[in-house]
Amino acid sequence: MSEEFEPNIVGFACNWCSYAGADLAGTSRMKYPPNIRIIRVMCSGRVSPSFVLKAFQMGADGVLITGCHPGDCHYIAGNLKCEKTMETTRKLIDVLGIGEERLRLEWVSASEGSKFADVVTDFTNHIRGLGPILGKSQG
Amino acid sequence: METAEIRIGVYICHCGINIASTVDVDRVRDSISQLPNVIVSRDFKYMCSDPGQELVRRDIKEKGLNRIVVASCSPRMHEPTFRMTIQQAGLNPYCLEMANIREQCSWVHEDREYATAKAVKLVSAAVAKVSLLEPLEEKEVEVRPEALVIGGGIAGIQASLDIADAGFKVYLVEREPSIGGHMAQLDKTFPTLDCSACILTPRMVEVERHPNIELLSYSEVIDVSGYIGNFHVKVRKKPRYIAMDKCTGCGMCAEACRMKGKIISEFDVGMGKRSVPYIPFPYAVPSKYTIDPENCLFITKGKCGKSPACKDACSSDAIDFEQKEEIVELDVGTIVVATGFDLFDAREKPEYGYGLYDNVLSGLEFERLVSSSGPTQGKIVIDDKEPRDVVFVQCVGSRDKSVGNEYCSRVCCMYTAKQAHLIHEKLPDAKLTVFYIDIRAFGKGYEEFYDRVREEGVRYIRGNVSEIIKKGDRLLVMAEDTLLGEPVDIEADLVVLATGIVPRKDVKEVGNLLKISRSPDGFFLESHPKMRPVDTATDGIYLAGCAQGPKDIPDTVAQAKGAASSAMTKMARGKVKVEVTTASVDTFVCRGCGRCVEVCEYGAPNLEEVEPGIFVSQINDSICKGCGACSVVCPSGAISMKHFKNEQILSQIAAVI
Amino acid sequence: MNSEAIVKETRAYHCLECGVCTSSCPVARVRPSFSPRLLVEKALFGFGDEIVRDRDLWSCLVCGRCTSRCPSNVDYLNFIKEMRIEASKLGEKGLFSHDGILNTIMELQSLSLRQKRTSWITDDLEVADEGEWFYFVGCLPYFDLVFGEGGYCDVGLKPTERARNTVRILNKMGIKPVVSNDERCCGHDLLWNGDLEGFRRLAELNLKTIEKSGAKKVICLCPEGYVTLKRDYPSYLGEQDIEVVQLYQLLADKLKEGKLNFVENGSDNPVKVTFHDPCSLGRIAEIYEEPREILSGIPGIELVEMERNRADALCCGTSGWVNCSSCSKQIQTERLKEAEATGADILLVACPKCGIHLSCAKYNSDIKIEIKDITDLIVEKMA
Repeated sequence: MSEEFEPNIVGFACNWCSYAGADLAGTSRMKYPPNIRIIRVMCSGRVSPSFVLKAFQMGADGVLITGCHPGDCHYIAGNLKCEKTMETTRKLIDVLGIGEERLRLEWVSASEGSKFADVVTDFTNHIRGLGPILGKSQG
Repeated sequence: METAEIRIGVYICHCGINIASTVDVDRVRDSISQLPNVIVSRDFKYMCSDPGQELVRRDIKEKGLNRIVVASCSPRMHEPTFRMTIQQAGLNPYCLEMANIREQCSWVHEDREYATAKAVKLVSAAVAKVSLLEPLEEKEVEVRPEALVIGGGIAGIQASLDIADAGFKVYLVEREPSIGGHMAQLDKTFPTLDCSACILTPRMVEVERHPNIELLSYSEVIDVSGYIGNFHVKVRKKPRYIAMDKCTGCGMCAEACRMKGKIISEFDVGMGKRSVPYIPFPYAVPSKYTIDPENCLFITKGKCGKSPACKDACSSDAIDFEQKEEIVELDVGTIVVATGFDLFDAREKPEYGYGLYDNVLSGLEFERLVSSSGPTQGKIVIDDKEPRDVVFVQCVGSRDKSVGNEYCSRVCCMYTAKQAHLIHEKLPDAKLTVFYIDIRAFGKGYEEFYDRVREEGVRYIRGNVSEIIKKGDRLLVMAEDTLLGEPVDIEADLVVLATGIVPRKDVKEVGNLLKISRSPDGFFLESHPKMRPVDTATDGIYLAGCAQGPKDIPDTVAQAKGAASSAMTKMARGKVKVEVTTASVDTFVCRGCGRCVEVCEYGAPNLEEVEPGIFVSQINDSICKGCGACSVVCPSGAISMKHFKNEQILSQIAAVI
Repeated sequence: MNSEAIVKETRAYHCLECGVCTSSCPVARVRPSFSPRLLVEKALFGFGDEIVRDRDLWSCLVCGRCTSRCPSNVDYLNFIKEMRIEASKLGEKGLFSHDGILNTIMELQSLSLRQKRTSWITDDLEVADEGEWFYFVGCLPYFDLVFGEGGYCDVGLKPTERARNTVRILNKMGIKPVVSNDERCCGHDLLWNGDLEGFRRLAELNLKTIEKSGAKKVICLCPEGYVTLKRDYPSYLGEQDIEVVQLYQLLADKLKEGKLNFVENGSDNPVKVTFHDPCSLGRIAEIYEEPREILSGIPGIELVEMERNRADALCCGTSGWVNCSSCSKQIQTERLKEAEATGADILLVACPKCGIHLSCAKYNSDIKIEIKDITDLIVEKMA
């Protein structure tokens, strides 16, 4: 893999737990790679598979969705709905040739600033290691 | 949709040096100023300061801006601030979008180049989204000053009294002929040893006399529709076959009944007998008789001697076999669910011999046995003999995955200690043994009480009972003393099982009726386990007592007061704000497939038949919480989530990449 | 092409304003504000700009009922297609069903991603990397994830079972077809949604893949795939040295040759079935009799026709994953009721998309009739 490759990562964070967790990472001045750009949604259950596909189509190399831990969802079970949808989406992007590893769903609570930073760091490094999506620039 | 020209103002905050030291604010400002529809792009030391806000307000007026982006800290911090700012300048507060370039950019990155590039992307995404945002109107709904309380145990009684005392009308619906619930069945209460009836009866009488409480006993809620402030409820009043206004509670009917002493008393949990016309217990409220239709000869067979004996005996002519059930319709603003619990059925653990051996009792049966109002007037006798050896078994149906109950029932340790104490009081020579896994004496005065019981000579053996078998006319209780690591067998004349608390048998139906969810343990689910323990996910419906999970009396009363207070808060204001960013349906596009109805946790969407055979989903704004799950499952694209529409989010995706 | 050129190209100026098109249009029947006739007339009077901005441009099902009945041979289908191409250039689009997932899936296939689209192949199937026959599978592997069990919009179907059954049938006929991970979406929906460039890219990649396999014959189960490869690839990319065959054409021939045989039926009670002609197979490709011939060859099957069959058949209600609405649902419900009215136990479909759309309409409704693909029936009864 080229050392130069800096992946584009789109993040979707739910307002109540994981977006607050991301904020806490900031308030605590934790550091993580700048590749991720977070889009706030009210609930991880709002993340339509089409957002994930569109993100890849538009040039994302990885998509990270973060939601509340099971049982903590502000909307009862939106996170679990997201989990089910994303399971299918992972299969879908695998069939498409994007690779299932490029989509990750993690539970991050509002108190887990360090977990948020760790998750983002780990995911960014993982995607950096995978390199660009094969065939993406051609066609 | 045709919209007026979009004119965007973008304001980039330095936050002192919090942002500016890592992000090149000038560069962000300049790049953003190139974006379409951006009329002004400015930076400022502190956007949240008065001069910062004034800058926005002035630009809105002078430059005719209609969309605002503030790039600063987290929207969780200052979104309300800037919404108010732009509202003051005459814009709709929802025409604002914030870019979080502090918590999610300058504070977490070190490389100025990367951080600046990222800030540009984040602000571009906010600009892209704000151009597509639509003004939204905030809505309020009226809250009727009437509450429904479902369940007349101590939780429902307490909640009703509090709400009624505050001046609101309360409808208290109780399924049984009397209020009182499980607490009425208890003898003494731990750890203070107050007589349960002595502290409960005055509250029951208060309910009956309270001018603001309408008690609907022997009634069931059969339908609930509507939403916070405006629930419409249907209640079925079952026929008592005795006119409430005529019955004096004298009991002559019960005395005369041909089935007298033949019917198992529910209140005495099978330990006592009653007649067909009955009053569940002497201090019942209302103190009126009810004819049990399942056992009445006249009702089931159409014939009871020449004429029903009760009818002949009643001097006030209250018996009325013509009575029919009645449906009462109520409109209420709030609902308190205090439907209580069922006792774990120990027959699910056949190894304990419950139901097989007469001297194996459930905890509640023992309460009736030891109660002075019980079938033996409080004498502890089994087969006419006083027991010499009594064994208590803890955690029957609690902390037991084999019967599907992982949770602790929270009352059994203490009621066992109390029951042991009561035996010790009445039969000082009896040998008392308690088998336990852990003793949970967590409440105020509980540990002290547990100590006292041990001082009285009650033997606590750590280890739970594996089985109970018959040995002659006694019982052999087998366990391992886990502290000594050896098997222990104890012969007993009486075994009391500390049967736990389980959800009501019909908890699922009641949950569906109210559209409230249940937690994995089967009890009703609170909105947040810590911060909103009495609220449900449905606004206007609150939980009290064991319906939400096992509780002792103090916790039940406290929660009931909490639920009452939550209900009163809404009713006192008379109005409640409802979520603005809700889902909405394009009724032409909607195929009426009902997937939204299936996915919604709150019951906000409803399929309505607009023409014969043609269904359309209607989403009730007052119920919708705006999670967006329905818009994800909608196959036709008929549902859109206000403020988080597909095209709005897609525009953000395009801008951040 | 500007509006004037489109009018000329599609012979729209021949329009007699007779209204046969509108009164034949299933959409107009449900929604009187929609009128193929008025769309054409708008163009005739020079209001092409209005048409391309009209949301109703995307409501047309391209079912072809109007075109097939037009007394003046106005090519309404191409009129819509060309107008949509123009509208697309302006950034206009229809309202996507399923949040546009299916359309994005198609677009993504125009990249050189290494798909894993053949993972449906099971051990009992014989397929090849090179050979005479290329089986063009189409969208089925993706449909599994959207409409199959656990999919986003589970309608109780197993779409790739159609693919497996097609290979089973081909194997029985002695054909070991090429199946390729490098196959792409055929481009039908992109073309009909106005994305001409996207369509071309997919078509070129598909032709390259087919060429690489050495195949000279392409077999399609999906009628839309069939007409796209057979008609649209040559017309947009020039004549190709391949023969495109629809599965039922092949099977009807094999039946006549005595090479397709079915097991004898044990019972005296025939199963009543009815058959839904897909628009692409029927009105577009004019393959009406082949599926019926195959059905008549299956012992124990009695075919009862719906009121509207063959060229008169009603559309399955939506197309190209755009503008599916209450209107589509009404058309579908009407079709399902028509099928039930025949007294048949099974409604046979010949197009995977028809199967999906009609099953979707059946979801949460009181319609009972079983919906089944002909390939499934053939595999069940094949000797």
